[in-house]
Amino acid sequence: MIRPPVAAGETSAGVVLRRALRRQRGRVLAGTLLLCLHQVTEVLVPVAIGVIIDRAVATGDVRALLLSLAGLAALFTVLAFAYRTGARLAYAAVEREAHAVRVEIAGRALDPRGHRSGMRDGELLSVTASDAELSALVVRVAGLSAAAITAIVVAAVALLVVDVPLGLGVLVGVPLVVVALQRMAPLLTRRSASQQEALATTTALAVDLVSGLRVLRGIGAQDHAARRYAATSQQALGVTLRAATTKGLHAGLTTTVNGLFLAVVAGVAGWLALQGRLTIGELVAVVGLAQFIAEPVQTLGYCVQLFAMARGSAGRVARVLGAAPVVRPGTAGPPDPSPSRLVLDSVGYAGLDGFSLRVDAGEVLGVLAYDPSEAEALVALLSGRVPREDHRGTLYVDGVPAEDLHIDALRGAVLVEQHDVALFEGTLRDNLAAGADVDETVLRAAVRAAAAEDVLDAHPQGIDRQLTERGANLSGGQRQRIGLARALVADPPVLVLHNPTTAIDAVTEAYLADGLASARGTAGAHGTAGARSTVLISSSPALLRVTHRVAVIDRGRVVAEGSHEHLLASDARYREEVLR
Amino acid sequence: MTHKTTVPGGASRQLLPTATGRRTWAALRSEFARLPGLSAAAGALLVVAAGAGLVAPWVLGRLVDDVIAGSGTRQVVSWAGVIGGAAVLAGLLTAAGATVAARLGETVLARLRERVLDRALHLPSATLERAGTGDLVARAGDDVAVVTNVITTSGPAFLGALLSVVLTAAGLFALDWRLGLAGLAAAPAYALALRWYLKRSVPYYARERVATGERAQAMAGALRGSATVRAYRTEDAHVGRIADRSAVARDLSLEIFNLHTRFGLRINRAEFVGLAAVLLAGFLLVRDNLSTVGAATTAALYFHRLFNPIGLLLLESDSVLQAGASLARLVGVTSLPGTDSADGRGPAREGRSGTVDRGTAGRGTAEPAALEVVVDQHCYDDGPVVLQDVVLRLAPGERVALVGASGAGKSTLAGITAGLIAPTRGSVRLRGVPLAQLGEHRVRREIALISQEVHVFAGPLADDLRLADPDATDAEMTAALDLVGATAWIRTLPDGLATAVGEGGWHLTAAQAQQLALARLVLADAAVAVLDEATAEAGSAGARDLDRAASAATEGRTTLIVAHRLSQAATADRIVVLEHGRVAEHGTHDQLLEAGGGYSRLWRSWSTPDPVVRQRRGSEEYAEGGPLDGIGVSTTVP
Repeated sequence: MIRPPVAAGETSAGVVLRRALRRQRGRVLAGTLLLCLHQVTEVLVPVAIGVIIDRAVATGDVRALLLSLAGLAALFTVLAFAYRTGARLAYAAVEREAHAVRVEIAGRALDPRGHRSGMRDGELLSVTASDAELSALVVRVAGLSAAAITAIVVAAVALLVVDVPLGLGVLVGVPLVVVALQRMAPLLTRRSASQQEALATTTALAVDLVSGLRVLRGIGAQDHAARRYAATSQQALGVTLRAATTKGLHAGLTTTVNGLFLAVVAGVAGWLALQGRLTIGELVAVVGLAQFIAEPVQTLGYCVQLFAMARGSAGRVARVLGAAPVVRPGTAGPPDPSPSRLVLDSVGYAGLDGFSLRVDAGEVLGVLAYDPSEAEALVALLSGRVPREDHRGTLYVDGVPAEDLHIDALRGAVLVEQHDVALFEGTLRDNLAAGADVDETVLRAAVRAAAAEDVLDAHPQGIDRQLTERGANLSGGQRQRIGLARALVADPPVLVLHNPTTAIDAVTEAYLADGLASARGTAGAHGTAGARSTVLISSSPALLRVTHRVAVIDRGRVVAEGSHEHLLASDARYREEVLR
Repeated sequence: MTHKTTVPGGASRQLLPTATGRRTWAALRSEFARLPGLSAAAGALLVVAAGAGLVAPWVLGRLVDDVIAGSGTRQVVSWAGVIGGAAVLAGLLTAAGATVAARLGETVLARLRERVLDRALHLPSATLERAGTGDLVARAGDDVAVVTNVITTSGPAFLGALLSVVLTAAGLFALDWRLGLAGLAAAPAYALALRWYLKRSVPYYARERVATGERAQAMAGALRGSATVRAYRTEDAHVGRIADRSAVARDLSLEIFNLHTRFGLRINRAEFVGLAAVLLAGFLLVRDNLSTVGAATTAALYFHRLFNPIGLLLLESDSVLQAGASLARLVGVTSLPGTDSADGRGPAREGRSGTVDRGTAGRGTAEPAALEVVVDQHCYDDGPVVLQDVVLRLAPGERVALVGASGAGKSTLAGITAGLIAPTRGSVRLRGVPLAQLGEHRVRREIALISQEVHVFAGPLADDLRLADPDATDAEMTAALDLVGATAWIRTLPDGLATAVGEGGWHLTAAQAQQLALARLVLADAAVAVLDEATAEAGSAGARDLDRAASAATEGRTTLIVAHRLSQAATADRIVVLEHGRVAEHGTHDQLLEAGGGYSRLWRSWSTPDPVVRQRRGSEEYAEGGPLDGIGVSTTVP
């Protein structure tokens, strides 16, 4: 298990951000220095143009020309390599940090003890996908803002060296212009956000409709769907046009304001040149610098936004990494097998109330709950997902209270295969083995017992057939049978199956029931300590038929127990529930 | 239909067409030609705006010359005034140009995406069955998003940069053709850099998309199956897989960034070559009195101004190429033939609903129809024979159940009955008319199919239901939901019919989603209903309710139901038992029980405790003549 490197409850956005800078400090430091150097060289390009005009073009001095062109070449070389190396270091810092955070989040999200982050799967996914990356952007904020400040300082010095009043004027004027233009930023951001949202809605609708195309076609609803999409698309068009108008206005305003500022600087600098206070080259350099300096000032504004974003994302990352576990398991190792493998003693949880049940070694026990939610409560308890403080009574595994067991000891003793079988990307073989090192004959025997051989036979690659995400390229019935086969391969001391055949036709179900009973029942006689037990939570007569005993749950407790035949013959309610 | 009919993997990619470059251009041109006024205005405004941007550097050059010539303050002030005036003009033109261009581009884009979706939704069944929905989803989603992103986000900047580059180059030549030529010295260096980059970058992006997709998939798969991950103690393996995929995506994006920076180096080199050439030419021209210092200054400033737009053009070139590829795929979809929906937009249905009282949620308003299915033989492509000599006649309003093991051909027969799959040899007739003659659109209105593929459409529950009948009132929808027994859980929804369901909304259980599908069937009010595994996914206790709901929803309709539970078969008017693609038995429940065949043995083993089977538990062989023999289990018999 990969444990999160931050202790639960101590994590905040600030901690995550500081940790990012600390972990990547080498890259951040070197990258920032190089990016600063790059900005210095960028400032020097317009200065260099001015110098060349001044010293070479205006004078006709060949030596000066050659010298200055060589200088320009050197400047470009430093500029290019400083950027290349600095940007690479900064980018690598972001990507590496994002990767590290992503893996930590995955570890926390899949922690067997659960997590109390309160986030649903979708949120967790977006935290791993985007927030991990965005929180790491703090590294970029550090590099960019340092470089921008350097550029402003160097440009200021260059301007002040040329002419103090003019330099001061430019240094005060540029930030004023940028701040003035920034006043439109909130509106711009708002419009862009609603544009993004409208477009995302349109795309989501398209994907949703096309994904459900077979359903639409099944009821002849394609026309209605196309019309609904067109209406949404037209709405998005309206929002996009409003945003485009705002953006156009902003672009026009920027052009005008920058141009007017340039006119003032050019006029003043030209006048100073006429006075002989500036050379021609200095005039060119001042105009060039005045245009250039707006860039780093804008970058600083951008850094403020970026930091706010990184902080927000870091907050969400912290919520996951710092989330407390749901259950707090004990430390006891695997218990010695006992004749009663599972005992629930007056348990109260969800719909269950004073619920007591015993599962003997070697037994195949059927459980029929008249209310499905009570079956789900039982499944949750047996899965070890319910914290001690949330239920009354005790669950004993081989005589030891479940909460005293180490999480791996508990999971090693009781395996619950969910009703909604989850398969994973990979081959059928991977899915069947579920991480264990198992011989192929074992896999094939389990597949046969689960009546799932057709899943292998139907495909040229057989057991090496690739499953897509969630086993989506199998039908519901195939998934259930592969899930069952996987449970049989795992061969746990206690196997709990919850409605394992709901998507399986009656013919196949009958075979499966026999295969299942024979696979689980061969290990030892009823009541022998160490013999494996099976709990079948189902109302299918085909499954209940192969059990040794059926426990019927009604209103939170076991109301009847006996063999399937006996209950069928003696209990009218049971008969009605089972023989639908 | 189910997985069995989809063509696996990459083959589906080729099944939807992609337009050639020429066709894509032609389609674009004709779209712009539909808006001639807007197109002309946008073009003119953008060109003039970019031209106004050239005034400032030109004036600066003249200013330099005047300062050298020692002219008066007045002159300097008036030059400053010209720069200011040009700035105001350029600002106005930029604003107007950007707005008009956006209106043009966005309108064309909206039309394109609407046509793509319309065609995608009306894809002929045969094409859809062969191509699957995967590629279609990618085109309607990803490709539209890629094109949108380029047009909406980078489009204006790209266009602006392109125009400034062209006009600045023209300005450079107008200033002095020799200085212009010097500037052109950079062109080969730029071109080489671009060629070098495009050859490498484009394949990278496809790989990066795949890598991030796989990373997200590993995470999503593990999260969705987290209960299973915990139960099987495989969290380390899953975290390891996520870490591996994340590392692959990280390394790829680092490589791509390195590529970018190497491209940047080459761009810097081209910039230096051009700038040095302009300065050198300026030096020579000024020395030989062929040009002024001012002109040389203007040329250098012009060229320096080109750095940003050229850089932008080059760096955006690959996203523009990608958008072009996506566009070709979209135009490919729009060029598909539609079904007959254009002329046949629901006339049959309107006629019906216009004459019938719709007060009872559509129940029984459809005229029951006779259906005849004759399949001499059916196979998928060159695959094995799936169905052979199957004849199915459904009287108006009759309910027939299909029984058989996995792989017996039930789903294929259901697909053929619903008119989604054309039998290799055979025909389907509705009221005596072959389906091919009725046309796809009419068939879809008359024959409804509910398959195992359950989809809850994202958005308000009422919107989902209105897909089946856009004019349905709240009362009609409530009545339909009541009919399928959904009233109890509808009451628990926070906003009733307005509750958002589906992706990102209120989560419906499998059984609730199936009830919703049945409610849609009621509202769609088709004459024939085909139910394939429609009640299969529910938990056992819910299954009984779903059986009842299915009976209620199909009441009065000619119905073919693929029965998973024998109770469904027992309540049907007639039962057809399929075995290895052939009809093994057919008749009513009682007839089949009396006949004593495989069905009766299955029914007995299912409905009564059968000690024979219990005792045989543990053996792996099924004895000859056992209770399940002869039901056509194609899979498990050793």
